[in-house]
Amino acid sequence: MKFARLLVTVLLVLAAPAATLAAQEHGTAVAADSAQGVVPQATEAQTQNVDIITPHITDANAIDLPCLNAGFVCEVELPRWTVNVGGHIVDLSPTKHVVMLLVAALLCCAVLITAARAHERHTHAIGRPKGFAAGIEAMVLYIRNEVAVPNLGPHGEKYAPFILTLFFFILFANLLGLIPYGSTATGNVSVTLTLALVTFVVVELAGIRSQGIGYLNTIFYWNKDLPLLMRIIMFVVMTPVEIVGKLTKPFALTIRLFANMTAGHIVVLALIGLIFLFKSYVIGLAPALMATAIMLLELFVAFLQAYIFAMLSAVFIGQIREVHH
Amino acid sequence: MRASLIAASLVLAPSPLLAQAEEHGASKGGLLDPHGGLMIWTLLIFVALFFILSKFAFGPITRAVEAREQALQEALDRARKDREEATRLMAEHAKQLEGARAEAQRIIAEGRAVGEKLRSEMVEQTRVQQQDMLDRARNEINAEREKAIAELRAEAVDLAIAGASKVIEKNLDDQTNRRLVENYLSGAPVRRN
Repeated sequence: MKFARLLVTVLLVLAAPAATLAAQEHGTAVAADSAQGVVPQATEAQTQNVDIITPHITDANAIDLPCLNAGFVCEVELPRWTVNVGGHIVDLSPTKHVVMLLVAALLCCAVLITAARAHERHTHAIGRPKGFAAGIEAMVLYIRNEVAVPNLGPHGEKYAPFILTLFFFILFANLLGLIPYGSTATGNVSVTLTLALVTFVVVELAGIRSQGIGYLNTIFYWNKDLPLLMRIIMFVVMTPVEIVGKLTKPFALTIRLFANMTAGHIVVLALIGLIFLFKSYVIGLAPALMATAIMLLELFVAFLQAYIFAMLSAVFIGQIREVHH
Repeated sequence: MRASLIAASLVLAPSPLLAQAEEHGASKGGLLDPHGGLMIWTLLIFVALFFILSKFAFGPITRAVEAREQALQEALDRARKDREEATRLMAEHAKQLEGARAEAQRIIAEGRAVGEKLRSEMVEQTRVQQQDMLDRARNEINAEREKAIAELRAEAVDLAIAGASKVIEKNLDDQTNRRLVENYLSGAPVRRN
């Protein structure tokens, strides 16, 4: 009995992405058709190698919306905006991932601001928050008091909103990739790179703010304890190392988030793809269960990666704020 | 001022990548190709979200929590102070009680000592009075006895003379005989009882 219920749940959970996938396959085929109209070997490519996974995890100029046609999905074309900046044509089209980021940001605002309002109201009424507001408060306080403030160092509280914003924004973007019709914006290297660069800039500004002229020591290695000759040699050797060390951090942040979010989705899509490959209900059950397991793992990873990104940002800011002697 | 500086540097930071992405042009399919437009959008959305959340979500929550923590701390401090005060008062009361008890003991002991002294004094006084009365009685007895002896002696002289005059009866000079007997009697020792 229990098992049957579980099975039904699993099937329901899988039905939605599978339906999306089926429709997407169709859409992709059509898109490939139109795109490859000019290419001679179009028919060949269409029959043999249709890449299903990549279009699912990369950006697109269309979003999937639920509707009642076959496959329960409609592709809606997004507008294409290009801006001419000093001779360069910059593509500012609001793509699928832009939409997802906007949705994530709006969800963040909706959830957190609603919670903050309720928090204020409850605090005024009974001196403490309750229900949803208390839950959000627990999350905010955990990130703030356990992750941000201890790593940021003394008087680092003013950077806590930045860390909190990073955490919740990345978390919502990650979670949006797990729901049907959603897409993982944080599985796009442009998004993670931008977030990492923002962190990089904040880290360097934090260094300049807290160390003043001493900030230069974090770029140029000039150890006053060494004799002059050694000092010059070490300066020449260590300065590139310091600079590379600085640049490694945003690079690692970029790749870590991007790869983690992408990998899980590839695995889930590949497992679901197996169902269509075998075209058998019996064999299809195994990949379905495995995909469910991976989805649960993904749910955990969504929280974990948001946490890690936020924590490492806090650690980097804290590191540079420590005055070097 | 600072915010605009941050924003400017953030906008400038991805510009080389932007150019690079443009050169790639239409090859949007690659997993690892940064896409300038998306980066700008990400930046805008993130920065806007940061300012909105800082102002409307994290600020109020943090302030409320800090206010609550402060209130809790104050309550704790007050409770601790009250407890210390209570402990101090209790110690004081205990000390007072101890003092009162010692005082009572002292008073009882003193009363007992006074009573004892009074008693012994009275006993002594009674004894002295008794002695006094005894002495006085003894003196009176002695005086009475002296007087009785003297009277008895006078009587005896008279009786002896009467007896002697009866025995001798005649010729004897009354005066001379009386002197003789008196001499004898005064010479004889008085036998005390």
